[in-house]
Amino acid sequence: MYIHISKLLLSLSLIVSIQVSAQKIIGGKVFDDKGNPLAGALIKITKSGQKQNIITANDGSFTLITESDSVNAIISYTGYSESNVTLFQKKINTIELQKTDKVLDDVIVTGYSVQNKRFVAGSITTVKASEVKDIPAPGINQLLQGKAAGVQVTANSGVAGGGITFRIRGNNSINASVDPLYIVDGVFINSNNLVNTGLGNQQQSNPLADLNPSDIETIQILKDANATAIYGSLGANGVVLITTKRGKLNSKARIQFNTYQAWSTPTNKFRVATGPETALLTNESRINTAIDNGLPPSSATLIPNPDQQPTFFRTDDLFRTAKTSNYDISVQGGTDKSTYFLAFGYFNQQSIVKPTDFNRYSLRFNYDNYLSKNLKLGNSINISRTFRNVSSNDNNPQGVINSALFPRSYLPVFNTDGTYARYGSFDNHLALIDNLNNKAESWRTIGNIYLEYSFLPELKLKSSWSVDNTSVYENNYSNTLTAAGLANNGSASSSESKSIILTNEQVLTYIKTFGESRKHAINALIGNTINTVLNQNTSASGTGFASNDLTAVSVASIRTGSSSRSIAKLISFFGKASYTYDNKYTFDASLRADASSRFGINKRWGYFPSGGFTWRAGQESFIQQLNIFNELKFRVSVGTSGNQNGIGSYAALGLWNSGNNYLDLPGNAPTQLANPDLTWETTRQTDVGVEFSVLNNRLTAIIDYYNKYTYDLLLNVPVPYRSGFASYLQNFGAVSNKGVELTLKFVNLETKSFSWSSDFNISYNKNRIEKLASDISLGASGRNISILREGFPVNSFQLYKQLYVDPNTGNAVYEDVNGDGIITAADRQIVGDALPKFTGGLTNNFRYKGFDLGVFVYFQQGNKIMNMNDFFLVHGNTQANIGFLPRQLNRWQQKGDITDIPRLTTYSGNPSANNSPANNYGGNVANLSSRYLEDGSFIRLRTITLGYNIPTELVTKWKLSGVRAYIQATNLFTITKYNGLDPEVNSQSNNQNTTGYDWATVPQPKTIQVGVNVNF
Amino acid sequence: MKNIIHKYLYTAFLVIVFSSCKKYLNEIPNNSLDASNAITDVGTARAAIIGAYDAVQGYYASNYPTLGTITADNVIFNGTLSQYLQLDQNAIPADNVTTVATYQGIYKAINSANSIIAALPSVKDVRLTDAERNQITGEAYFIRALGYFDLGRGWGGVQLQLQPTSDLSVLKGIKRSTLDQTYDQVLSDLIKAEQLLPDDATTRNRAQKSIVRALRARLHLYRKQWADAENYATQVISNSKYALVTPYRNFFTNPFLTTESVFELSFSANDRNTFWNLWYPSSFGGQYTLKPSNPFVAKVSNPLIGGSRSALIAGTGNNVYGVLYNTTTTGVDPSYIIRIAELYLIRAEARAQQNNLTGAVADLDVVRRRAGLTGSTALTQSDILLAIEDERSIEFAFEPHRWFDLVRTERAGDVLGLTDKRRWLFPIPLSDVLSDPDVVQNPGY
Repeated sequence: MYIHISKLLLSLSLIVSIQVSAQKIIGGKVFDDKGNPLAGALIKITKSGQKQNIITANDGSFTLITESDSVNAIISYTGYSESNVTLFQKKINTIELQKTDKVLDDVIVTGYSVQNKRFVAGSITTVKASEVKDIPAPGINQLLQGKAAGVQVTANSGVAGGGITFRIRGNNSINASVDPLYIVDGVFINSNNLVNTGLGNQQQSNPLADLNPSDIETIQILKDANATAIYGSLGANGVVLITTKRGKLNSKARIQFNTYQAWSTPTNKFRVATGPETALLTNESRINTAIDNGLPPSSATLIPNPDQQPTFFRTDDLFRTAKTSNYDISVQGGTDKSTYFLAFGYFNQQSIVKPTDFNRYSLRFNYDNYLSKNLKLGNSINISRTFRNVSSNDNNPQGVINSALFPRSYLPVFNTDGTYARYGSFDNHLALIDNLNNKAESWRTIGNIYLEYSFLPELKLKSSWSVDNTSVYENNYSNTLTAAGLANNGSASSSESKSIILTNEQVLTYIKTFGESRKHAINALIGNTINTVLNQNTSASGTGFASNDLTAVSVASIRTGSSSRSIAKLISFFGKASYTYDNKYTFDASLRADASSRFGINKRWGYFPSGGFTWRAGQESFIQQLNIFNELKFRVSVGTSGNQNGIGSYAALGLWNSGNNYLDLPGNAPTQLANPDLTWETTRQTDVGVEFSVLNNRLTAIIDYYNKYTYDLLLNVPVPYRSGFASYLQNFGAVSNKGVELTLKFVNLETKSFSWSSDFNISYNKNRIEKLASDISLGASGRNISILREGFPVNSFQLYKQLYVDPNTGNAVYEDVNGDGIITAADRQIVGDALPKFTGGLTNNFRYKGFDLGVFVYFQQGNKIMNMNDFFLVHGNTQANIGFLPRQLNRWQQKGDITDIPRLTTYSGNPSANNSPANNYGGNVANLSSRYLEDGSFIRLRTITLGYNIPTELVTKWKLSGVRAYIQATNLFTITKYNGLDPEVNSQSNNQNTTGYDWATVPQPKTIQVGVNVNF
Repeated sequence: MKNIIHKYLYTAFLVIVFSSCKKYLNEIPNNSLDASNAITDVGTARAAIIGAYDAVQGYYASNYPTLGTITADNVIFNGTLSQYLQLDQNAIPADNVTTVATYQGIYKAINSANSIIAALPSVKDVRLTDAERNQITGEAYFIRALGYFDLGRGWGGVQLQLQPTSDLSVLKGIKRSTLDQTYDQVLSDLIKAEQLLPDDATTRNRAQKSIVRALRARLHLYRKQWADAENYATQVISNSKYALVTPYRNFFTNPFLTTESVFELSFSANDRNTFWNLWYPSSFGGQYTLKPSNPFVAKVSNPLIGGSRSALIAGTGNNVYGVLYNTTTTGVDPSYIIRIAELYLIRAEARAQQNNLTGAVADLDVVRRRAGLTGSTALTQSDILLAIEDERSIEFAFEPHRWFDLVRTERAGDVLGLTDKRRWLFPIPLSDVLSDPDVVQNPGY
């Protein structure tokens, strides 16, 4: 009651005072340094006795009511420096806020904490999502290509939503995972593909495509041990911290709408030999084979009238102009106690090869609320739903591309009765395009709730609870018009795969600056996490359907089912502390202890320490006297991190698997040897870095050298087969990666109306297997041409090296490595590897008045590609059902011909002899020669964008606060020596050790798009 | 005092945290048994022998029949995979997928058998009767015998692994045996199996006494022990359980397990055999990697040579394909391991070698008549042996015989033109040569 009265009195007195004093209105507008209005800027009036906070409107304007002619105010806006101004009545106050120095003054998110970048000793690259926005690809990881030094990104194919190869500072492992840890707003997310449908040997999906890139604010890539050791056993492959957008306190609701429409075509199309050419080559080979077998040429059975053969170019049917559409709308803002960000997105992309496509609906809601002065509650929630139409390619002979590319071009596509014609192992490509029905729908929920309590301003406890729940529901039906459904009257499968990652973590943070002129700064934390990863799958399949319209497994005449489940758990404790003296010297150290259920009972715990030192030499007076550097900083760090991903949940146990049934009775059989000593794979890394900026911050450079050594590899060591096992998982072997990274940022020109800035980065990495039990060769469907061998990089190719084609005999001559005069398997040698030596990107951004132009070039150099299409289609007629590439026409025909394509023959006698017709295409060399290995280096104009900001006056008239329209081209041209369709390819991506194949894969598209960004 | 209480509480806290950590971190799978509990009672003993049969299926479903056919003259390569081209051209690298998988698969079956032989005596379960214990052990001996026999005829004398692989130390020091030693081991296992196994019932897809005898007849044939071969073949032939089926195609037409079958591995809708896929053209949903050769097609289509065995092929012109494995909708084709026809031909050959020419021709003619042919006209010993070789080639065209027959009779040079005898054995897998200090590669690889 008393309170009510006092409130009443207070309001009364206010009313009175307002009535008494003369009301005066002060108005104005807040702009950024480019003259754009700033909506949501905070104006604090500081005149004694009067406290008033005001927020600018959408057009940057504000009005306030005072009793005096002028007031002092502090105007602030996140990312801009504060401005102390006096505002006067009777004029329009225009205030311009300056952007704060972006490069060296950012606060960045590091492991479990936020730090000022100036003092960070670790090697961390920050990419703002705005730098990669609007590239027409669904996965944020794909968009980072060429944007961050030390990160190599390759799209495995041109399939929308398909797999991505993403490596931070090289491959650290052989059997364990080489993918980084992805963390979205503190949630450890699943980056393993869950799509089961076999698509050849290609990774089926990119799980990061479940996130809408438009929701992302920044991406931090943690590369060295100092940055990653805090993630312990999860950090060895680097960490990608993704921070999504959040609202700002005291800001008005800001609505944004973005859309683009894009049209894609292949960068190149397949071209095969015509019918008459194919017949000619076939007949020539048959005659030559007869001669080689000592028979008269007339004994060969020939294709009659080779010149009269028809030609059916099947590959033209594969491609289409593929459409991509993207829409996203978001609203963000905040009150003085809470902030919000809400976004909805829709993305739809067709592949340029029929019938594949990808769709995504995404919803994000991020919310923070100060429940009290000390207690903050917040959440980040992402819900997305994706739909994929998938199709098989690569090494599956009944894939879409295979079925169009490989059959001989003189053979008709349809039988005389109008039915689909099939040849050899291949299906009919049109039957596949028209009838393939492989659908994968995924639901993904990534959610995080946290509570943060401040005991003291410098001491905070944060507890967070996260889930990443992915479920993929797949339904496939092969009807009787496709080869897969033909034999069994239709075949269907249905499966539900789930991955659930639950994480709980507590972090206690202490941040304090103290002492005389605040010379000492401490940033410390301790914490723990409990992490559970659950994977499960249930599937059913059936064959025998009454009609092609009935596609449910439940109505199949024969049905089978299966299921699987695995759980892995991880418990961790960690701590980190850094101390900065006088803004110049920073020492930091961290330690993490991890225990994993995956490992042997004897060696479950792993300890991962790191330490670093930063010297901001630019703060020393003797450097400042040089008057060269605006900033100069040296960093050095050393530490270890671990790896356990990619091995099975029960890898340390001795197991007899059940399900080895016979006569429909249950059967058990030994499948795995126990290894109670199985433990962490450990990566030790040293990093030395220097960062400086000169010329009034116009040129900023970051240079890093690193040396990584991964030991105790979780290696499937081959064991003698007589044991009944093929391999034994143990900690054996070592891999090293050494490299240099350079990042340069130039502000070339900066005037009011024109600006030009450039970003350049280049990375060099050298990978080497330091220790291995014995060679491991694999890949290419049993041709075993990828090899892991001590002293060589992973992803090396082992091949017979063709020296030349003998002009006298027309036979291929291979290098006889062991000099025993014959060609055997021992004469295979490593002739290159699939790892690029250099990768990098150059971005140029120009701005002239309302126009902006961005040109982004990506390059990689030094990797080899095994062109399997070439191998299959330049076969000398050893493949009775496969046609030819035009390259086969360059074959040796008569004495004196100089060529690298040997004489056509399928003769098989005496395969050990060098310069024997047996080894031209078959014989001992059937498993591939260097003839098909090519340089995969390329430089590509990844994107070129021209945008136009519609003038403010016009926009304001439309009651909007900003409109930008743009046109963009992606992959417009590529400079390469590679003869395949596109050098950015990785067909056998399901296994990290078989990189660098090009095998009937959807090539990268060339895309033109138009788009518009609207701010309401 | 307070300090002590604090200390005590602290220790208690740590104990609780770490012991619960330990418990929290113990995860076990729901589809496997720990190796230490793998064979402990009647249920797991039964499951173990079933698992061993499954391993035999593993290498017999497609790999072993491929090795025994495409390497010789009846079947040629018609696909895309180099491993089959290599086998067809008899230019087999040591990492050829099919030879490696077969070798590995056989030893997998042997390891299962070894585990059963080692574990069964100590299984204490009243529900496990002596009869069943003997049967399971006998089956394990048989499976081990079959495994070493299949290794011996493909790779020569191999390393004789007779203990289960509990850990890798049991592997040390075991060198390759000679072919005779390998075959001796087969014989010794077959003798034990014959003792332990029950008398024949109607079963044709699990080991029984007659099945052991049939394999023994074949072993003696391979070892040129003609009298023993004849003796054991006779023992099987005289068992009324077996009879040739007419017409020929009946034994490979569903329902299977005909009287023709001495031993076959059955498949079911839940445990499919997709070997047909390698034989059928893509217009029937197959891969068409294995194709009957033109000379074989000519022979088998000739009514005087193939007779009713022309049912082995279908299609016309350039699209002739083999249909021995033909359950394209259901995938239940068995793996044919021993048919009674083989026992007749084993005895025919053993008799011919012992100069019992009339007896030899009589047995040969049993098989010919079933195919709708007239009796053989061969007269001399060498003609009769050649006639038996040709008969086997047609009778077992798509079963794993032709290659092994030509190698055991040392006729691969004459018939296939493969004069380099080193190529008559498959290579030891490359990864074994690299990882096993005790193994020596076959010469020529």
